[in-house]
Amino acid sequence: MTLFLTALFAGLAVGSVYGLIALSYTVVFNSTAIFNVAQGDLMMAGVLVSYFCLDRWHLPQIVTLLVIVAVVVAISLVEERVAVRPFVARPVVGLGWFIATLAFSLIIETVASIIYGQNPVVPIPGALGNGTVSVAGVHVATKFILAFVVMIVVMVALELFYKRTWLGTAMRGVAEDREVAALRGIDALRISRLAFIIAGLVTALAAFVVAPIVSADVTVGLTYGLKGFIALAAGGFGSLRGCVIGGLLLGVAEQMFDLYISSNYEILAGLILVLIVLAVRPAGLFGTRAVRQV
Amino acid sequence: MSEIAGRLGLAGGGRTWLRWAIPAVLVIVLYIVPQLGGSGSFRLGEYEEVLSFLIIAVALNIAMGYGGQYILGITAVFAVGAYGAILAAKYHPHGIGLVAMCIIGGVVGAVGGLIIGLPALRVGGFYLALVSLFAALAIPTVAQQWGLVGADTGIPLYAVAGFAPEINGEGLYIIVVSLVLLATLFSWALVHSRVGHRFVALHTSPQLATSIGIRAYRTQLLAILIASIMAGIAGGIYVYTQQFFAPGSSSVQFAILLLAGMTIGGMGTIIGPLIGSVIILGINQFFTSFQQYNGIVFGVLLLAFAVFLPNGLMARLNVLGDRLGIRPRAPSLTSGPSAALAAAPAASVAPPATPGTVTTGKPAATLPPWPPVIGAGDSGALVVDGAKRSFGGVTAVDHVDLTLARGQVHGLIGSNGSGKTTLLNLISRFYTLDEGQIRIGSTRLDNQPPHSVARSGIARTFQSPKLMLRETALENVIPAVELRVRCSGPESILRLPRGIRVNRQARDEALEILESLGLHHVLSQPAAALPHGTRRMVELARAIALRPSFILLDEPAAGLSPVELDLVTEVCQNLARSGVGVLLIEHNVPMVLSIADTVTCLHQGRILFQGTPAELRSDTTVASVFLGIDEPLEASS
Repeated sequence: MTLFLTALFAGLAVGSVYGLIALSYTVVFNSTAIFNVAQGDLMMAGVLVSYFCLDRWHLPQIVTLLVIVAVVVAISLVEERVAVRPFVARPVVGLGWFIATLAFSLIIETVASIIYGQNPVVPIPGALGNGTVSVAGVHVATKFILAFVVMIVVMVALELFYKRTWLGTAMRGVAEDREVAALRGIDALRISRLAFIIAGLVTALAAFVVAPIVSADVTVGLTYGLKGFIALAAGGFGSLRGCVIGGLLLGVAEQMFDLYISSNYEILAGLILVLIVLAVRPAGLFGTRAVRQV
Repeated sequence: MSEIAGRLGLAGGGRTWLRWAIPAVLVIVLYIVPQLGGSGSFRLGEYEEVLSFLIIAVALNIAMGYGGQYILGITAVFAVGAYGAILAAKYHPHGIGLVAMCIIGGVVGAVGGLIIGLPALRVGGFYLALVSLFAALAIPTVAQQWGLVGADTGIPLYAVAGFAPEINGEGLYIIVVSLVLLATLFSWALVHSRVGHRFVALHTSPQLATSIGIRAYRTQLLAILIASIMAGIAGGIYVYTQQFFAPGSSSVQFAILLLAGMTIGGMGTIIGPLIGSVIILGINQFFTSFQQYNGIVFGVLLLAFAVFLPNGLMARLNVLGDRLGIRPRAPSLTSGPSAALAAAPAASVAPPATPGTVTTGKPAATLPPWPPVIGAGDSGALVVDGAKRSFGGVTAVDHVDLTLARGQVHGLIGSNGSGKTTLLNLISRFYTLDEGQIRIGSTRLDNQPPHSVARSGIARTFQSPKLMLRETALENVIPAVELRVRCSGPESILRLPRGIRVNRQARDEALEILESLGLHHVLSQPAAALPHGTRRMVELARAIALRPSFILLDEPAAGLSPVELDLVTEVCQNLARSGVGVLLIEHNVPMVLSIADTVTCLHQGRILFQGTPAELRSDTTVASVFLGIDEPLEASS
């Protein structure tokens, strides 16, 4: 039972990171109709920053967080400018944007691994220290709890933003019908930039909470990016709650796979999960939209 | 045949032979590479590795460049094919040869491709790209831990006792080059067959494809299956030539390299992906000292091409070829109005048809009859019975009844937003009915899949013409003919006797219909280069080419010149005379009234009027709703 609970809590923590990436995909997609493949590598750029800030320069956690936000949002804006805007500005034909964002993620990953160099992967201290808290009789690392809390807060904040504010409504409307949005005085390009700023913020938070969990491994950006997609597909495209549930589901499924089947083949858990979900319920668990139109 | 060739501008053009020059030079270079770059067995092995990757590039080009299916993680399929082949070789008592390895690789690859493709295609779009990329990440990761496939170190065949390849050295190199050429030739034959036509139609627009009876899911799956079999065979070739396979042989980065090669060379062209892949893989393989920075170089190249030159180097070469008069036409254009502009100068320098053939745009003096072929066995009318459909709170079509009899023109008029096009889309099954029925005679259509609408004999056009912009006018019409002149896909691809006959028949019939509509002068021009009115006429030709029992025309006269308008009017009458039921949506009310047997007027989703044109003219409701007067139309005009 203890083993099960430990695995469950670890799954919820890692799942929270997948959920955060899925949320940032959704923010971008809502406003641009573009799926930004580079989101996982943007997060890894944040992990690299936190390695330098905390392990090399010994900066305080709060300063580290600010630096991560600044760097990730800046790269995110560069990406919007060079890899996304050309496709937002003209009618989208085919999946050219997919190639462009994948190319950008390759550039981030290569630059990150050059900067990181041959350094061995080192653990990064968590914001709440390396302590544990006792929950239901098992010790849960505070870094796990932080990841979960951050994801829930981000989801609630985004939900309120989309439902309660004019800007939020506008940001959802643009991807659905750019022309109508333009007629109502909404500038698609500004909205696209704003979406990348918000997605960058979410990704920076994800980087901040994931760094102590994955240590300073900058090569797993694509892996995390793809797992974020699986969270999204499982939860249901376009649903914020779906992202969260999908992320947690994937995280827990991986840990259970480790515990009961084999930790060597953990990656299969994600593959099996996404194939089953698509076969049984293509729109995802909470999918409301006609995904085929996506 | 030569006459047709002449009209298509294929013959006579003095320098068109030059278009074969690039492929010819490439073939020669491929065969003599060992003479140029050293033929030690290590070097040969490296060349053969690149060559087996080229087969994956050709496979990916079929699925992605032509079929529009982004199975980016095709390296996963390559890997499972290779593992299948190498395990068979290792555990077979005497080892197995190249042919057996290719067959095993192909079969295992097909299974792998289907496992990824079947679920991912249910959503479509970029889902396939991401799911397959995840598979490309997962397969090597799993293999690293799995003892059966040699874990991290892989399986070396040369260490297996008693196993020796019976072909090696330059002989093997020649065979592998020939296999690459065979794959390329196959991709050419496929693209220029009915199967390839369906791929391109579906890639262009699912609605277009459905409207000519193409089964979307099956066609997408076929694209993935063909690519997977080829990638699996590439796995077999890789294993045979390298005598080795390990997780590092197919990393997910390799999938991205392939994509870069495809994009840079030019997806959707036959040799573009080969050229691009040679450039990218060549850099990666032979400039290893620089490898740390390769990701940046490839990333920047890929990004630049995706943004500035999405059709790749071959598109550039083709444009250049057009300028020099080397190629007879200008394909490789993106869709959209800017592409049409870009194509215009290229099209204007295309050689005119040979002197002596008709070059004007005049249609045949009398149109030939187009009696129904599809659905001709039935004699029932197309009946819409109590159709209702809402979007959110808006009821776009509200309990509409309508009967379209064979041999009649039924006009459908009404203001914008009155539900005319929605009704058409309900008949086409692009939308599902909330209530009501649609049937031909007693056969219900509303519970059948969308592609069965065309297969039951209902053709349609679109409010804004949907054409394959990179294809010529003729190539736009051929796929419609191919729905009814049947032969199997393999017969068409492999040019078996019946395939050749049917391919030619489809071409001839398409040509005939286009010519009767006065489109001789645009046969070999890409649709992107055609003016709006001509695009409408090409689309009309495509709908007629189905030889349907019913035809649904969505504002066919919008934006036409007076001459073209007369022709459309004549076409509608001719269709009705031939026994086809014509549903004509039009804002040009005088035109509708002059040819319609029955008119239905929709207002806010409901039927405001249904009757003959004469009754409409004397009806007061229509006049009061549209003109705000209490007299019938007749009196007011």
